[in-house]
Amino acid sequence: MSVILAITFIFCIIIARFFYIQVIWGDELVLRATDQWNREIPVVASRGCIYDRNGQLLAGNLTTYSVFARPNSVADKSYAAGVLSGIFGVDEGSLYEKLTKGNVSEITVARQADGALIEKLIACDIPGIYYSKDNTRVYSYGEALCQVLGFTSSDGLGLSGLEKIYDSVLGGTNGQIMYTTDIVGNETENTNIVYRSATDGDSIRLTIDIEIQLAAEQSMREVYQSSGAKSVSCIVLDPSNFDVLAMVNYPSYDLNDVPRDDMQTLNALSRNSIVCDIYEPGSTFKVLTAAADLQEYLNGNAAAFSPSHVFNGSRTRSVDGTTIKCWSDHANGKHSNQTLAQALNNSCNPCFTDIALALGKQTFYDYLTAFGLGNVTGIDFAGEALGMLVPQSLVRDCDLARIGFGQTVAVTGLQLACAVASAVNGGNYYVPRLLKSVVSSDGSVTEENVPILKNKTISEDASAMLCRMLEGVVKEGSGKHAYIEGYRVAGKTGTAQKYENGAVASGKYVSSFVGFFPADDPQYLALVIVDEPQGAYYGSTVAAPVAKNIFEDIIAIKNIKPFE
Amino acid sequence: MKNKLFEKPKKAGDVPLLVCVAGMAVFGCVMIYSASSYVGRVQYGDEFYFVNKQIIGAVIGLVAMAAMAFIPYKKLIPLKIPLAALSLVLLVLVFVPGVGVTNYGATRWIGFGSFTIQPSEIAKYAFVLFAAAHFSKHYGASRTIKGVAPVLILGIAMCVLIIIEPNMSITMCVGLLMLAMVFSSGTNIKTFAFMLVPCIIAVPVLIALEPYRLQRLSAFIDPWASPRDEGYQLIQSLYALGNGGWFGVGLFNSTQKYRFLPFAESDFILSVMGEELGFVGLVVFFAVCLFIIWRGIAIARRCRDPFGFLLAAGITLVYGIQVIVNAFVVSGSIPPTGLPLPLVSSGNTSLIITMASMGVLYNVSANN
Repeated sequence: MSVILAITFIFCIIIARFFYIQVIWGDELVLRATDQWNREIPVVASRGCIYDRNGQLLAGNLTTYSVFARPNSVADKSYAAGVLSGIFGVDEGSLYEKLTKGNVSEITVARQADGALIEKLIACDIPGIYYSKDNTRVYSYGEALCQVLGFTSSDGLGLSGLEKIYDSVLGGTNGQIMYTTDIVGNETENTNIVYRSATDGDSIRLTIDIEIQLAAEQSMREVYQSSGAKSVSCIVLDPSNFDVLAMVNYPSYDLNDVPRDDMQTLNALSRNSIVCDIYEPGSTFKVLTAAADLQEYLNGNAAAFSPSHVFNGSRTRSVDGTTIKCWSDHANGKHSNQTLAQALNNSCNPCFTDIALALGKQTFYDYLTAFGLGNVTGIDFAGEALGMLVPQSLVRDCDLARIGFGQTVAVTGLQLACAVASAVNGGNYYVPRLLKSVVSSDGSVTEENVPILKNKTISEDASAMLCRMLEGVVKEGSGKHAYIEGYRVAGKTGTAQKYENGAVASGKYVSSFVGFFPADDPQYLALVIVDEPQGAYYGSTVAAPVAKNIFEDIIAIKNIKPFE
Repeated sequence: MKNKLFEKPKKAGDVPLLVCVAGMAVFGCVMIYSASSYVGRVQYGDEFYFVNKQIIGAVIGLVAMAAMAFIPYKKLIPLKIPLAALSLVLLVLVFVPGVGVTNYGATRWIGFGSFTIQPSEIAKYAFVLFAAAHFSKHYGASRTIKGVAPVLILGIAMCVLIIIEPNMSITMCVGLLMLAMVFSSGTNIKTFAFMLVPCIIAVPVLIALEPYRLQRLSAFIDPWASPRDEGYQLIQSLYALGNGGWFGVGLFNSTQKYRFLPFAESDFILSVMGEELGFVGLVVFFAVCLFIIWRGIAIARRCRDPFGFLLAAGITLVYGIQVIVNAFVVSGSIPPTGLPLPLVSSGNTSLIITMASMGVLYNVSANN
């Protein structure tokens, strides 16, 4: 009897042990085992599209498919290799080798395959071959706006530009299909398929007007070729709200054929220079100095020069023991008896030195700060440069004297365009923007990106006076190559010498022109920058005609009637 | 009449025992089909690959069980030396190239074409028969070292041959059996201690000789320390049991049989049973096992003939030890060893000879 009891006791221990494993520990064991029982196939969310302000598609998706093989499940490997190579054009030999090697659970046969090919594949019905939908990004205009739009990885992740900044909006959330498999990933006969659908990304609408963009691209491409410049950039803004209508950097690259293998070239070509790089603006900066003077004059500041004040006609000024010269030799009555308007027409440096020094460090820097110099504009783009402005506490009079006509200061193209736009639009500095709205997949606008007024720069009266003067620059001054009969174009040229290693680099210039029209109610503002043109280098001859081309194209595109 | 091989027993024997054994064999076929149909289809292109073999074994086993039930067990006595010799020869044959079959790094089988037998399965019963015959003939022999010697020599010879296959679990099984047979035959403390001490010393020595045994030992303590190597099989067994819960996932619905659990149809069939039938199913199964053991012990106790007593006890012991060790292995309570669950696990040698032994057990019950 004791033997029976002993054996019964042992069986009780066994049963207790099984009770512990199966009933008490069971749930945790199942949780641990779930991973090995299931496999997932991703359901790729559609990436949102990018449209221009008028709803033109800039970046969309082509529905394509990825094809996978699970070698363990492919019964007839040579047949499968033959059929797959026939459909997708992959090398039959190497595919067969991969299928037979058997040390991987899954191989990728083809990526971004067309839907028609998948239909052929389905017709062949080869066991062990799977496909899943993926999206290939397609850019409607190839090179246009490439640095701004940016590109995605082959997995549809935004890598640069707006694709990266708005990745969380565009990307959506992938879903998955989960099913039970055996140890090597073959679907089991009583599989439980769990489907979690993908949430598609939202689309975004930009402030960009693709027609203006294309026109600007064309003009910039032409000047790049004719001037032999190192690079050219351009921005077209709506001065009334700082919508970026066009943004061009050339040379560029094709978004549909990104040179991913050559990182150095890609980094150079994909840089949005007009936002991320700085340059010494030269005479275009005089617009801001003039604006400060006019406002101070209207404010009753006795130090400011009135519009009728006649500046000293000497070619030079002596400040802190250094001599500042005008670019012109002032011979034969050139640059004599100039008022502020004429100083702008002639782009006479000493007059603007006088203004900067007369207003003084404190007042002049107040205006520079209001115009956003030395600070980011806050545009919705990554890597915006700050520009360079000597700190007010360190600035000497000789620096101030040069800042007055755009030297000893560095800006981004965007910064200058915004500063000028705020000076001519009645004195309103907005945050420039590229995103206009977010549109959900059903087409409804879910988020409107409204203009944000950052600060006032000058008064409407001062702005109106400035506009008239800048209209004069185009009508009868250095900007006359931008003149368009009847459209009241206004603007200012700029020619800056480039510095290398602290010294003036001979023969290297940045030619630029900032212009807008119509002068009494600016609707379009363009800044054209030509970096290191060969031969002719004056902003008036190199950059102003380009702005004129762009404005003429805008007039044609928008069918704008003459204003006078 | 005297030399007739088959003889109607004096009275009806323990019929419930035979019913349970036959039921177990049939149940084993069902479970083997469930556990192996997927593996069979994927690896051999036939989902009945394993179960067909088992059904053949079960049919032969039934015939053998019936035959043994009608052969008076005393006629087995003269077979003690031939059978022991045959076992030793077969165990040696395992190592003859061309005859021995190596699987999973162990040479445990001898094969003729697709037919393989596992000599160690036969050796266990040959040893039981030899010990029972020896101690019943030389009454009181078990009290002296000299009298125990023939049994010990045979047992140790078998153990040595089995351990170098290697097959640790059946070696221990035979070792335990050796101790139990001597103990059952009425030994005294001195002799028993003489045997027991070397056996206890042998265990750590054997572990030290083959480092993989130590790895298995550590795997049993924490299988998740090496989830892809030593701990893998135990983890998969626990997953199966855990998935079963109270009532199981239902017959044929095992997830672990999809090649996650190695040896699902043989040494680890208890895991699949636990997964498909749940804790409750296993309790019922163990109750039947306990019933068989209880019947075996009862038969031995009722037997007034020392040979019958030792034979019945030995047969019951072989069955009981295997069930208990297998249950402990599957539940991760002792280090994993390759030992089948008798009557249920796939493997014809084990099935046929176990059923035959149960026939002998019946005959003992019917002739006393």
